[in-house]
Order: sequence, then structure tokens, then C-alpha cells
Amino acid sequence: MSTYLTKRLLYIFIILFAASLLIFCLYATTPGDFITGNIKLTAERKAELREIYGLNKPVLERYGIWMKNALHGDFGYSLAQQKPVLQLFNDYIWNSFLLAAVSTFLTWVIAVIIGVISAYKQYSWFDTLVMIAIFAAMSLPSFFIGLFLIKILAVDFKWLPPGGMTTTGSNAAGMAYLKDVVRHMTLPVIVMTLLGLGSLTRYFRSNMIDVLKQDYIRTARAKGLKERKVLFTHALRNALLPAITLVGFELPALFGGSIIIEQIFNWPGIGQLYMKSFGLRDYPLLMGFTMLLAILTVIGTLLSDILYRVADPRVRL
Amino acid sequence: MRKSTILLSTLLIAGSLLLSACSDNGSANNSEVVDTPATASADTGGTEAAASPAPVPAGALSEPFTATDLSKLPAVAQNRTDTIIVGLTDPSGAFTPYFQESGYDGNVSSLLYASLVTVDDKGVPTPELAESWDVSEDQLTYTFHLHKDLKFSDGSPLTAEDVAFTWTIQYDKTYDGGSSLPSLNVKGGKAYKEGTSKSIEGIKVIDPQTISVTLEQPNATALVVLGSNVLSKAYYGKDYKFGELEYIKKLHEKPLGDGPYKLEKFIPGQEVRLVANENYFKGKPKTEHFIYKTSEGDVWQFLETGEVDYASFSATEENIEKLKGLGYVNIIPYTPSTYGYMQVNLKHEQLKDKLVRQAIVYGLDRQSIYVDAAQGAGSIANIPASPISWSYTEEGINPYKYDPEKAKQLLDEAGWTVGANGIREKDGKPLSIHYLGSKSKNTDIFIAVAKENFEALGIEFQPEIFADFNSLVSKVEGGDYDLVSFSTPMLTDPADGFMQFFDGEITDYENPKFLELYNKALATTDIEQRKAVYKELYQLLNDELPIIFTSYKKTVYAYNGRIQNLTVSPFIGLAGSLPDWTLQ
Repeated sequence: MSTYLTKRLLYIFIILFAASLLIFCLYATTPGDFITGNIKLTAERKAELREIYGLNKPVLERYGIWMKNALHGDFGYSLAQQKPVLQLFNDYIWNSFLLAAVSTFLTWVIAVIIGVISAYKQYSWFDTLVMIAIFAAMSLPSFFIGLFLIKILAVDFKWLPPGGMTTTGSNAAGMAYLKDVVRHMTLPVIVMTLLGLGSLTRYFRSNMIDVLKQDYIRTARAKGLKERKVLFTHALRNALLPAITLVGFELPALFGGSIIIEQIFNWPGIGQLYMKSFGLRDYPLLMGFTMLLAILTVIGTLLSDILYRVADPRVRL
Repeated sequence: MRKSTILLSTLLIAGSLLLSACSDNGSANNSEVVDTPATASADTGGTEAAASPAPVPAGALSEPFTATDLSKLPAVAQNRTDTIIVGLTDPSGAFTPYFQESGYDGNVSSLLYASLVTVDDKGVPTPELAESWDVSEDQLTYTFHLHKDLKFSDGSPLTAEDVAFTWTIQYDKTYDGGSSLPSLNVKGGKAYKEGTSKSIEGIKVIDPQTISVTLEQPNATALVVLGSNVLSKAYYGKDYKFGELEYIKKLHEKPLGDGPYKLEKFIPGQEVRLVANENYFKGKPKTEHFIYKTSEGDVWQFLETGEVDYASFSATEENIEKLKGLGYVNIIPYTPSTYGYMQVNLKHEQLKDKLVRQAIVYGLDRQSIYVDAAQGAGSIANIPASPISWSYTEEGINPYKYDPEKAKQLLDEAGWTVGANGIREKDGKPLSIHYLGSKSKNTDIFIAVAKENFEALGIEFQPEIFADFNSLVSKVEGGDYDLVSFSTPMLTDPADGFMQFFDGEITDYENPKFLELYNKALATTDIEQRKAVYKELYQLLNDELPIIFTSYKKTVYAYNGRIQNLTVSPFIGLAGSLPDWTLQ
């Protein structure tokens, strides 16, 4: 296990290094830079600014400078926002995390419950209804569901706020603040949960169906175990095992923010910021954020491998 | 990793298409960008300028509309007694003037900082912090006389020293902001920038209330450029050393200004809270709190639920009807101080000829594209100035009414004859036009109509669409295009309308007459004289068409009917009238 870990960690550094180089070159070779979009500047001024920002240097040299600073914990200043990149992450990423964590949690809980039930009652009317609902949810675009819910629940009935994270101008603190945030996140959480639910339910359902056909389930039933025990102790545990691999992949998504949902609901998350930075070619922010996602991805993969070993002793690392 | 990166960029692009699609449908725009230094927009309806009780009717709304039933106002808005909330796309928190990269931050700082000189609804300079000014005979030296007892919001005095400091740091070699002051060529500015001089020779503090500045050549835009916001030397200049401006970034989120409001709190991605400044030289504003609420894209729902008091919308008939239906909003029409145009690649053989350019304008049904398809939220442009500018004129201007026959005749005259497959040819070369546009609903309409129009003339039309503005511009910089759609940022002075010809975008239009007139208009500060020169200039460009003029945008502002004394200047946005706003 420990040689495995050392090897994995070594790979992680190589992967991250390669990824950073690749991403840097990709961004650097995208047509246009931060200065290009400003059509108000004279050619002379553009050259001056490129000099100040170091954009006129060769790509590899720029990468070297970026890497050196990054290793010292300095991810630079965002060109568009005029703030340190790390401070910007801190300003926005936790809002995204809150939204993603809550909706991921809900998605998993609901998906497991529905998945198990519809697998158990395969081809029943419940199963059929769930399948229809899932296909409907999966085929609707997120912005449509989002705007539809805003129209109904926020504008027409005025039950929930149409967007944002807190009431504008409110000075609420403590519980009142918490309540305010919960009210504001209800709609986006509903939409994100709905969207995530489809594929995950189908995944659990088919896993569960496979497991229910196994010999040991038949044995358990033959032994006269209660159906509930068969289902939740014997079957569910084995059906959930492959899902551990998925847990790891959720990690970057938790911090990555959802561009469309955040935009529709005016949620002050990192997804929106990232999208805007891409349009403006704000390299320091783009690089910093993409690297963060890359790091989270490799950590997530490592984590799911280890978890898998813990959950299933047959797996050797 | 490679896979996920490709996937990521695909998702980004797809996402941006979706977003632009839904924001277009709403055709709402909640930003009243005062100036857009970094985010110049292509012809997409991206940035909007500010409003005015414009003389020009906007679409279906020709005059201001007053709320019919204030009792319909949502309770949230009804309950606010000392707070006004306005939507703003994306303030980043860089609130120091001259250092911000986005026009949205400019909207915030325009309330935090007053200017020496401001402009009225026609764009004519009027005094603000400066009580008056003198311009020397040779038009080179400007002397500003400040009001007495001016104060920053912390109560510290504002003097000529602060003005001198503000001008000086913009000549620092590490200054990376978008100010146009350095291009004015203040005497000694270059020496300062190169580090050969400790101060700028042309800037002279005469006494605490008087400061003069000397330029190397006359420039009629200088008054407004020099007369911009003032930074406190005691606050922003404390740590200043030549060549080191990094420190100022740390002060962006803690602005110290002299405007009607001061910053109370900035919550990234959510709101900017401002509170009335008791030290404002014109007296404390009447409404205690003002909030810019960050709102991406569609702002309809916030106006409908009463979460914002004020928003701008494209002046389509549909929008105006819907707004009138709300009952509790006042609506004012306006035309922003911008114009849309197509940049022409004058290097290319087929477009070098003035007759071909004229044929394109005659042969393009601009009325259908920019007015009818936009449900009246636009009008046709024929000169490089907005109808609200003091220099605007239609005298002697060819309106180029849609006339395909005339277009064909001009093409024949230019020697492009119809070839075998219906495409015109000259010296064996087909007449084809490679068009670049950004992804938007307007571009889709343009391409559909233009394709039909051009084919009827015998021109081969090859459109190319970009989802991303930066890619579009770098393609233009590479020279691989014939026509490309742009719209100007906010124009304050009429001279700004010719910017494209001087900042390197259009380098191939060489007409001594144009340069002569342009410089003549800049060499005097007399408005009547300038008007006459601009008229000549407009006539010249209207005939020569080194760029193809397309359209003006029309917008409406809708605001909570309880707000009194609201007017919006096309040049400085809300900032002018905001201190007088009251909630009834």
C-alpha cells in the first residue's frame, strides 16, 4: 500500500506538471490576449501594456515565470479584476461549494432511494413512472427549468426570491442570515438536483438489478432472511461499491461551479467568474483556476482508489 | 487530462452560446455603462450606454411614460424608504478611477468620485469641482480654478496638489490603466515616463485652488480628459515611488473619493452598498443608501419582484408593452452615445474603390436588419456620431436609402461585370466579401438579409461567426477579412467617433483632407467652430465610406414610479442626477 502511494504521488506530480504545461500553452495559443479585446487602445499603447504584463515574452518563458511564482504560492493578479487570484477564489469558491455540496448530497440520497426501489420493483408502474420522469428531466435544458421555476415560484407566486444569495441590502446575521441564504438557494438546488438525479438514479438502478440477480442474494432469501435485510444489508452494499469511484470525480465539480445555474440564479459563484475570464483572456485567473481543478481531479481519483480498497478488501493496490 | 481539457473548452463554448442565446431573448440590459475601457463590444448588444430624456423617439415609445398604478408596486419595493437599488452586471471591486479594467467598475466609481469638469446632456463641458477654467490663446495651457473648501469623503481637503498627483501617476511607466490622458502629450510627460525628470514640467500648482497644465499640441478633448476624477494624494500617493504602482491595487476595494456617495460595503458577486457622503461639495444626497445589485443577464424578474428599482431594456415594442403593463414603472426612451459600423478592409482590391463601398451600402437593406427586425429598437446611422451629440447633423448627408438598382449601376461603373455564374468579376477575379461577426441574434439576422441582398447584386458573400470577441479581433488584426461588424464604446466628444482611424484599427484610409479637418476640429475649443468642421467631416466620410455606418441602438429605462427627479445623461449616466433622487 505505501509503495503504491509513493508511486501514485509521484505520478500525480508528473501529471500535474504536464497538465499545467499543456493548459498554459493552450491558453497562450488561443487567438487574442487580454489586450486584444480593448479596441480603444492605440497599437503603441497595446505594445506598452503587453510589455508591462509580460505578454510579449515567448510562451515557454512565460510558463517558467508563472510556474516559479505558483510554486511560491503566488498565482498573480487577475488582469480584469485587479485582485490577487487566490483572494478571488476565496471570494467566490465557497459560494459555489455550498450550492454544489448541498445539491450533490440531495442528489445522492434521492438517487439511492429511488434507484433501489425501482430496481426492486422492476417494470412496476412506479419504475415506469420514474424512468419517464428521469428521461424528461435529463432532456430538458437547465436554463429552461431554471427560468421556468423562477417564473412560477418567484415572479408569479412570490414564494421564493428569483436570484442572488442574500436579500439585497439586508444586514441579517446569525440564524436570520442562514435562513435568508437557505431561501435563496432553494431554487438553484432544486434545479441542480433535478439535473443530477437522472443519470445517477439509472446508475444505481442498473447496479442494483445486477446485484439482485446474484447467487448470494438468492441464497440469502433461501435462508429465510427478511426481505428488508436482504435488500439493504446484502444487496445495497454491493450495489454501492462501484459508486465509490464516482465520489472521487465529484470533488472537482464541487468547487468548479456551475456556469449556467449560477448565471440564471445570479449566484455569486466561481463558474460565472471563470466564464467571464475566458472571454477576456484573463490568463492568471484562468491558469490558477484550471490548475486548481486539475489538482482536485487527481486528488479525487486517488481518494476514490483508496476508498475502494477500504470498502472492498478484495481490491489490491 | 488532454481529453478533459478539450471537453472543458467545448463545454465553455457551448455554455457561452446558450448564455448569449438566452440573454438575447430577454433583450434586457441592466448595465448603464458609463465608459467601457476594456470591454469594447462587437455589434452584439453587449454594452449599453446611459440614457437621457432623449429628443429621439425610441421604437414604440416616443416620450416618457409615467406609471399608471403605483399600488401594484411589489411590497419589497414599497417597504424601502431610504434605499434605491439598481442592477449592474459585474462590478469587480476595482473602484479606483484610471485603474479599473471594466466599465461596470466605472459605474460605481462615477458615484464615488466627482470630476473637475463634467458634460451636459449634449456632451458640452460644464464645471463641477472646477468652478471655472481658462484656456490660453494658443489653446495649449489649461488653468483650472477649484471651488473653495472641497473635501474628500473623510473630511480631508481637496486641493490642486491632488489634481497634480492624479495627472502625474498616469505618466508613470508602470501605469497600466486605460486612461487617455497620456495620449494628450502633456509637456514633460514623456521625460517623466522615461525617468529623466522627477516631475512633469507642464503641470504647475499655482495655489491650493489653482492648477495649470500645458500640452505640446492643441487638443479639444483635453478639457474633459484632464477634468476627470481626482485622487487624494494623501491617501493614494502615500506610498508612491516612480515606477512602482503595484501598491495601489491594495486600495481598490477601499476607495476614498469626493463624489455624492461613499462605499459602505462590497460583497463580491452580490452587491455594492453605497451611503450618502455628507462631505459632498453640492450637499449630502437626498437618499441615504444606494445599492448596485450584481445581476447577470436578464433583469426582468428583479424589476417584477421589486428587487431593483431601475433597469434598461432594448426598446422593442414587446418590451415596452410589457413594461407599460407593469403599471408601477416610469419609462424613458433614449439613444446611447454610440454607433454601429462595419470596418472595411481597405487593403483588399475589391473594397479599395469608393464606388463598391457605396454600392454595398445602397444594396444592403439596413432598415430591415437594424430597425424592423429589432422591433423598432434601432435606427440607421450614416455618420460617425450619435443623434444625441451636439455635433450631429443630417445636412448634406446621403441617407443611402435601400436601392439595389443604384447599387448595381455603381458596381457596373466600377468595372465589376456579371460573369457566367451570376457573380460579378473584374480582371478574372470574382467579387466576394468575407464577413466577420460575433455570435448574436443581430448577426444572424444580418447574415440572412445580407446574403440575399448581396447575391442579388452578384456579390459572393462568405460570413464567418465568432463566439468570442477576442478571437474575432485577433482575426481582424491578422487582416483576413473584408467586412467586420463593431460598435463603438461610449463617445463623449465628437472626436471620439473617429477613434478607429487613429488607434491602428483602420490604417489604410489615407485622405489628407480628412486629417486636415480632424485636426482643425481639435485645434479649437469653440463649439460653433467645431460644429461647422464636423459637419464637413461627416459629409466627407458619408461620401467616402472608409467604414460602413450601420445603426444606432435604442433603449428604454424603466424605474420605480416612486423615484422623483430622475434624469439620465447619455454621457455620464446616473451620476449627474442621482444626488437629487428622492423616494416619494
